[in-house]
Amino acid sequence: MPKVLIPTPLRQFTEKRGAVDVSGATVGEALNALTRQYPDLRKQIFTDEGKVRSFVNVYLNDEDVRYLGKDATAAGAADTISLVPSIAGGSGATALAGESALTKDEILRYSRHLILPEVGVEGQQKLKEAKVLLIGAGGLGAPLGLYLSAAGVGRLGLVDFDVVDFTNLQRQVIHSTADVGRKKIDSAADRMTAINPNVTVVKHETALTSENALDILRNYDIVVDGTDNFPTRYLVNDACVLLGKPNVYGSIFRFEGQSTVFSYPGGPCYRCLYPEPPPPGLVPSCAEGGVLGILPGTIGLIQATETVKLILGIGEPLVGRLLLYDALGMRFREVKLRWNPECPICGDHPTITKLIDYHQFCGVPNPRQAAPDRETNVNPGEIEVTEVKRKLDRGDDFLLIDVREPHEYKIASIPGARLIPLGEFSKHVGEFDPQADIVIHCKSGMRSAKACGILRSAGFASVRNMKGGILAWSAQVDPTVPKY
Amino acid sequence: MIRIEPQPWAAMVAHARQAYPYECCGAMLGSVDHGRKLVRQALPLENAFKGVQATRYQLRPEDLLAADSAARRRGMDLIGIYHSHPDCDAYFSETDLKNSCPWYSFVVLSIQNGEFHHANSWLPDFEQTGAAKEELTY
Repeated sequence: MPKVLIPTPLRQFTEKRGAVDVSGATVGEALNALTRQYPDLRKQIFTDEGKVRSFVNVYLNDEDVRYLGKDATAAGAADTISLVPSIAGGSGATALAGESALTKDEILRYSRHLILPEVGVEGQQKLKEAKVLLIGAGGLGAPLGLYLSAAGVGRLGLVDFDVVDFTNLQRQVIHSTADVGRKKIDSAADRMTAINPNVTVVKHETALTSENALDILRNYDIVVDGTDNFPTRYLVNDACVLLGKPNVYGSIFRFEGQSTVFSYPGGPCYRCLYPEPPPPGLVPSCAEGGVLGILPGTIGLIQATETVKLILGIGEPLVGRLLLYDALGMRFREVKLRWNPECPICGDHPTITKLIDYHQFCGVPNPRQAAPDRETNVNPGEIEVTEVKRKLDRGDDFLLIDVREPHEYKIASIPGARLIPLGEFSKHVGEFDPQADIVIHCKSGMRSAKACGILRSAGFASVRNMKGGILAWSAQVDPTVPKY
Repeated sequence: MIRIEPQPWAAMVAHARQAYPYECCGAMLGSVDHGRKLVRQALPLENAFKGVQATRYQLRPEDLLAADSAARRRGMDLIGIYHSHPDCDAYFSETDLKNSCPWYSFVVLSIQNGEFHHANSWLPDFEQTGAAKEELTY
């Protein structure tokens, strides 16, 4: 004779008894015997069709009978049967069931999801109710936007203020050639709604700043970081931690990428991994270092997968693990990440409790403030491309040095320039006359600025950096020189 | 009606504030006398929801079973469930309703900007179609 423990609220039906010994050799027989003895209890536990109600789990001792033999699980005199409700909830998804119900068209569209037991109708409704913010509509944002809209994520926010450029098309597959010159946010939104008109794309045409980040992020469940610079990456991290939103992180460089989920309960944040940003200029951007066009596809889709898993609440999230991808070796590696109790924002005693100035924190100029200066002023030590052209045309006695790499020189070069890659530059300093008139250039002016610094500190008298590099040369002097 | 004694009430508010900006959840132990519920102990439980915990919670049935036996051992009964709503009101949401059980009182604590704001107690019906507000004192 097994014993059935009666939850408090049901004891009004069992003559106030907290435990009832019943006959029966299986769990099913025991529960039937119990409800024969106390007929009023039957409605509490069983539906009219005689099935156990959806919110009731039946436990034999400390095991759920669903994982044993269900109703047929043997129950003896030493066994205790418990009725345990399944309880969950949350402030989210306040919409009435009718609003998130799938239409006939949606059922057809998502049928390959619906027949997965892990997704099903309920999961697809979760996707429909989900609000996901994509920071950046570039390399990572492209696959994210395409697949998350196709998957039926109901509300997709996009933050971007850039314009589609020819150099984007090699990897940012959400934009097409005809979109060059359009706002990325418009081009991406059009493509996403063309794939799936059921999704709402919310455009935030702005740079994410400390002033607007909390207000923008607040309206979303999950934030996906597709940024390419450190100030925004720290800003996204801090805002996610302060708001308690998971931050699905990805980054790419040349042939390698990484991804993880930050700011998830119990897991680390970006600052736990990198408390301080790298020194400015140490880590080149994709524009400087290059990137395999397919790479953001791989990494962006890992981010998209994690996003969908978080929405559905299935699988094992990529929390506390940094996934490293090497496209050349075609290998994935994983390193453990730990939450840092000393972390200045998500640790036990946070010292950062509001958003800060992230450009200052990372030691880089704010492009929005610095841009006008760069347009109008030529700093001492710099020379305009048009002036270099005049010097060449006049036949001035000066040395023009190109500090880019040989493969870049093959793409585009300025006649008369001598190629010495920056990495070998120091070795060649002795070859030049310290009194010579020297102009140095690279692609956009970053590397040549370093080379100028090397010569100046070696006592060279007249060293100038060609402002804007060969890109400016192409724009202002010789349009036949290709931009890259 | 349900009354929560000062000590369990303080524990529930502290739990909800500590979990902010995520949702917390737990069990309420006490006694029922002629329909008047008295909460004498709060038992914080782990939010087991695998996903966005800022707007969702889930209780493991094992934890609830353990809470029920803890109550029995201490001569009390499991009489309710509490959870928090960070930065929104203490309503009983559709999600709350669809995952509820009519046997218990459901106390919802609204935590706004990390501080306790207000609370309500709810009694969901059998078919999970609605929940009546229960008089709550603390």
